[in-house]
Amino acid sequence: MIKELFRKRSIHVCVVNTGGCNGCDIEIVSCLSPRYDIEQYGIYVHNNPREADVLLITGPVTLQWAERLKEIYEKTPEPKVVVAVGACALSGGIFKEGHVIGGVHKVIPVDAKIPGCPPRPSEIIETILKVAPKAIAMREKLIKEKMEKNEV
Amino acid sequence: MSTVPIGPIHPVLKEPLRIKLVLDGEKPVDAEIEMGYVHRGIEKIMEGKHCHKGIHLAERVCGICSYIHTMTFAECIEHISKIEIPDKARYLRVITCELERIHSHLIASAVYNLSIEHETLAMWLLNVREIVMDLMEMISGNRINMSYNVIGGVRRDINREMMDEIYKKLDEFEEEIKNIIEVFETGPLIALRSKDIGILPYHEVMRTRAVGPVCRASGLPESDWRLRHATYQELDFKPVWRTEGDNFARMMVRHEEVLESVRLIRKALEYYEECSGDIRVKAEIKGGKGVWKNEAHRGEVTYKMEITDGGIIKRIMIRTPTVMNLEAYKYMLKTCPTVADAVSTYTSIDPCISCTERSIYIVKDGKEIPVGVKHP
Ligand code: SF4
Repeated sequence: MIKELFRKRSIHVCVVNTGGCNGCDIEIVSCLSPRYDIEQYGIYVHNNPREADVLLITGPVTLQWAERLKEIYEKTPEPKVVVAVGACALSGGIFKEGHVIGGVHKVIPVDAKIPGCPPRPSEIIETILKVAPKAIAMREKLIKEKMEKNEV
Repeated sequence: MSTVPIGPIHPVLKEPLRIKLVLDGEKPVDAEIEMGYVHRGIEKIMEGKHCHKGIHLAERVCGICSYIHTMTFAECIEHISKIEIPDKARYLRVITCELERIHSHLIASAVYNLSIEHETLAMWLLNVREIVMDLMEMISGNRINMSYNVIGGVRRDINREMMDEIYKKLDEFEEEIKNIIEVFETGPLIALRSKDIGILPYHEVMRTRAVGPVCRASGLPESDWRLRHATYQELDFKPVWRTEGDNFARMMVRHEEVLESVRLIRKALEYYEECSGDIRVKAEIKGGKGVWKNEAHRGEVTYKMEITDGGIIKRIMIRTPTVMNLEAYKYMLKTCPTVADAVSTYTSIDPCISCTERSIYIVKDGKEIPVGVKHP
């Protein structure tokens, strides 16, 4: 109920760099600047997975991150949305042959992907706004239905 | 004594890294730094590839200082195969490199200001940074990871309108940044949080091998490798330095370097107008070994490589500045009274973790796993 109604306009984002080159991360930092002003859309970047609705994941998943990323995903409360930012997070990108596992989808389920190396800040904001409110509301409903069935 | 773990994901860290602070009461006494989260094995991927492919990988060593990595890579190969690049390309390289230095220093400053809870200044800095990002996009076609360098020159030329635009935007930028620097310099609350905190004295610079702005803030201007670069010598480059060695001095060195970069860009543009000819020569790559160093935005970056005739990379070694600065961080902790100061001191050295992680070994359940073996 809470997320369905109110959190539509208040999306908490956690940025996780799983081994990217940093380019995608600073484009997310650019989103904070007054030109793009991510907060005016009700998106708040604060890097705490325990409060987040959206996980923004940048970079290919390196060997060291594989377990950690699963942990972070489990820490994040339901309903949650995972957005993979950049070519690396999509498929491993340029580092495919290196010491990496590959795209984020090999480790955790992904809801949206933003291609580009790095994508522009406006694209990042657009994607979050398109995906997050709807997906969160829908999942909240599903969870509620499940709970009702169990109770009955 | 208790320990406080910071990271791997933390509001002020852009990148994953774990710092374990050992506390005595509220005073941090020691730090243990745990790295290895973003190792991708770039050198290993590069081996056996042609250097035209390798340059794109070198670019992605680090996103913030991507241009300087391609510049050092290209100059190293040009040094090995004795390729003379045209004058136009030399000046264009300096212009783009300095633009990127400005953007890197501004983001460092913004993150520092966020960590001392001065959000207004951070937002102003991020906003003026957009002017520089626009210029970089106009010159090269992308905001970050520009792929502007090729071996033997640069990829695109600039025309008259672009030049006018650069002059115009630079004037606009200089006015705003001067205002911001004044606010930073005279703000009493900023001085309280940054002066006499995280001091790295002159005699300890030698012990830690600190480089870049960290080192220049402790009174060592010779550490700037731009002094030894032919094009910069031509442009009459003067390093910026201070002697206090605290957080305030480190940030002020960055701010003054921004102004110096603006001056360098203007001068390089003037010199560029007088040249004519191509921006790129046909590169015939000869085999050999070589080392090349450049001043990246955080300190010196070294490329040591061995290539074959035709340009296949046999072996490459990259050395980046943050490792030494992280070592210096442990010495700075002696003058940090609280945990909050330890965090802001950490951001004041402007660490770049994706540069740093060049080699690792993984320990899982007490066993060492050789890197390169895929996880089951
Ligand atoms: S997609 Fe490009 S910019 Fe983003 S982390 Fe990967 S290499 Fe860096």
